Amino acid sequence: MSNRADPNLLKELKKYGEAEIESCFNCGNCTAICPLATDETPFPRNNIRMVQLGLRDRLMSSLDPWLCYYCGDCSATCPRKAEPGEAQMTMRRWLTAQYDWTGLARKFYTSPVWEIGSILFVSLFMVWMFVLFAGPMETDHVALNTFAPVQRIHYGDWALAAFLSFFLLSNVFRMYWLTLRKDAKAKIPFLLYVTEAWTLVRHFATQKKFEKCDENQKGFFQKKRWRNHWFLVSGYVLMFAMVVGFLPWFQTDNIYPIYHPQRWLGYYATIVLLYGGFDILWGRIKQEHQSHRFSHLSDWIFPILLLLTTISGIMVHTFRYLDLPLATYYTYAAHLVILTPMLVLEVPFGKWSHLAYRPLAVYFQAIKEKAKQRQEVAVGAVAAVAATD
Amino acid sequence: MTNTLKIDALVVGGGIAGMQASLDLADQGYQVALVEKNPSVGGMMAGLSKVFPTLDCCSCITTPKMSAVAHHANISLMTYSEVQSVMGNEGDYQVRVMKKPRYVIEDECSGCRSCEMVCPLDLPDYDNEYGRGAHRVIYVPFSTAVPQKALIDIDNCIYCGKCLKACTTNAIDFAQQPEYVNIETTSIVLATGYKTTPYDAKKEYGGGRLRNVVHGMMVERLLAPTGAYGRQLRPSDGRQPDNIAYVQCAGSRDLTLGVDYCSRVCCMYAIKQAMLLAGALPMADITIYYMDIRAFGKGYEQFYENAKAMGIQFVKGKVARITEDENQNPILRVELIDQNSRVVERKHDLAVLSVGMLPGFDPNSMYGVPVDKDGFIKAPNPNISPTLTMREGIFATGTATGPMDIVDSIITAGAVAAEAAAYIQSHNGHRQLVAEQTERSVTHA
Repeated sequence: MSNRADPNLLKELKKYGEAEIESCFNCGNCTAICPLATDETPFPRNNIRMVQLGLRDRLMSSLDPWLCYYCGDCSATCPRKAEPGEAQMTMRRWLTAQYDWTGLARKFYTSPVWEIGSILFVSLFMVWMFVLFAGPMETDHVALNTFAPVQRIHYGDWALAAFLSFFLLSNVFRMYWLTLRKDAKAKIPFLLYVTEAWTLVRHFATQKKFEKCDENQKGFFQKKRWRNHWFLVSGYVLMFAMVVGFLPWFQTDNIYPIYHPQRWLGYYATIVLLYGGFDILWGRIKQEHQSHRFSHLSDWIFPILLLLTTISGIMVHTFRYLDLPLATYYTYAAHLVILTPMLVLEVPFGKWSHLAYRPLAVYFQAIKEKAKQRQEVAVGAVAAVAATD
Repeated sequence: MTNTLKIDALVVGGGIAGMQASLDLADQGYQVALVEKNPSVGGMMAGLSKVFPTLDCCSCITTPKMSAVAHHANISLMTYSEVQSVMGNEGDYQVRVMKKPRYVIEDECSGCRSCEMVCPLDLPDYDNEYGRGAHRVIYVPFSTAVPQKALIDIDNCIYCGKCLKACTTNAIDFAQQPEYVNIETTSIVLATGYKTTPYDAKKEYGGGRLRNVVHGMMVERLLAPTGAYGRQLRPSDGRQPDNIAYVQCAGSRDLTLGVDYCSRVCCMYAIKQAMLLAGALPMADITIYYMDIRAFGKGYEQFYENAKAMGIQFVKGKVARITEDENQNPILRVELIDQNSRVVERKHDLAVLSVGMLPGFDPNSMYGVPVDKDGFIKAPNPNISPTLTMREGIFATGTATGPMDIVDSIITAGAVAAEAAAYIQSHNGHRQLVAEQTERSVTHA
């Protein structure tokens, strides 16, 4: 890894967010107040220092920004108002752009025209698909699976999932390459990837790092940010699984009784997504929490698309219930027109990529630390043997 | 009752800068009135222990100056007095001063303190001891106060009349009213000084909430021979501290407190106190947590090096938070910037916040003198004439113009005296002054 200084790094970072990185005088207040910083990952100051010194490769291979959950204590107490929390957020956007080999993430984060233009492009593409492939509209009763035959949509789903997975996974590989392979301070035995895999699963399922952000509160329900985020994720994952994996089971023309899992799982996910989306949007409008004081365009697009998707989904359901065929068909089309760009663009190239990068960062960091420990033990043992000789 | 006084210069504030400016003007033959709001002159300096970097005793330097302003023929000293209004134009100001009632007739009181001995009530001494000492309801402010005259804290007096009986000169007058003095003056010198950053301002540091978190001025009083205790102790249990931490920039260079400037003195006073503590408590560990050490003056860097050589620990890193354990020991959380950026929590017996300087007074509404963004008096040309203000005939000196140490305060006091003298001369006419001086030297001879 090179330590070459890149004087343009700061200028480049500033395109991704509003942090006042140049104001920092490196007092270390942020790192000391951070509830998540450890001896191995003493952020945010170390990352800010990297930007100030232009250490592009060091920053690119750093996992620290993903280990920050933006509780905002650093920004609230920063003596220079350098916004270290927002600096970490900015670095996450920048890292997303670095991992993405297509260059689209960089375009989306730095150019509103590209971001909004691409969403419109994919939406129009979906409209066109409906024009081409939609079935006949039966007007005497709601027949959604005639208008949008479920198997046809399901193929679309698979295409979408394949597209999304290909790009996300290839970006994940880039992340792995940059953070674990290029930044190899210690040799990593393959077995560690297996033994630490549980970390990945656990952090994906619980987002437990969030917990430390609300140090003063005890219990899951009191820790508001963690709780809201966890519910939102649970709803999102559930809905994604039902829509992409089990669409024929989920999209039916006959209405099941209320106790049927198709109904209540759907309702649970909808309520959680609606609440989560509103919570984020409202928080960003009111700017009460430190982490909501600066909102990048990508921060708005995310809850807005989520809310529009959820609301259009609710409308489809309601119209079908009220037996309004045309309204059902049109809102269904609108639902897909909104939902597709959200998944296709936001997950591999946008803010939602953090659903992969965050748990992976915890996983990679655990591997790194274990490998380092082993190496130290090995070096210690060699030294001990040498000493006895 | 109203008196009128016609003078050349009115000096507002009887701290070291105001006293020095008064003396420098009065020694040149100008008529000076010195107005001080507290019952004694001396200001903040009178409460300090020793001065850096020479470690001279503070009282030993200040007290002679306090006496001098009280006894100088050309200085009218008005303590426990406040300026009420300023009228008039450049070079011809009419100032109204209120002498607050001491309830003790100043000319009669001999400072024998008999009243203090018999007064049955003790009050915490916030003015001089930051609440850690006590004084009676009738009291002479402190042992070296000038003038040595008693006053009564009338709000807390129970009118038992014991002092009345004890007073040897019949000086006590419960019915005393404020007196007003009208002053006509050519120039005004503002020496209104500073106040320290409130030590509870930065919530993370727990000042005012955690008992063993104190501020630099409190330690000055512990170290000063005139202090309330005469030994080193920590507030929670009176135990002698063995492990003392200094938290630098606890009120300066911190935008969350709205103070973006460096207060200049805190590094040096922390080093000085650390040295004095190391002398008083030879076994104690003393650590100074700092962002940068600013040892800027003559002999200061050497002073800093001496402190390091004495074994005082200097740790680079801004303390982020102070908590306490069950024994009320402060625990400091800090990033050890020079030691691999480790974040540690370190336990000490006593944590001292090196609080900074804030302007003591905003003169804009009364004197029409604007202040800078930082609240200190604005100078039109801060580099070439630092003691001028935006208004002609009004000058400023000492910490009223910006954070500075005692040395610099005395330098600017000399500078302001020179500026004011030149102004008075040009305004009143050179000849008149020479005539007066000749007359005076004749009468003295």
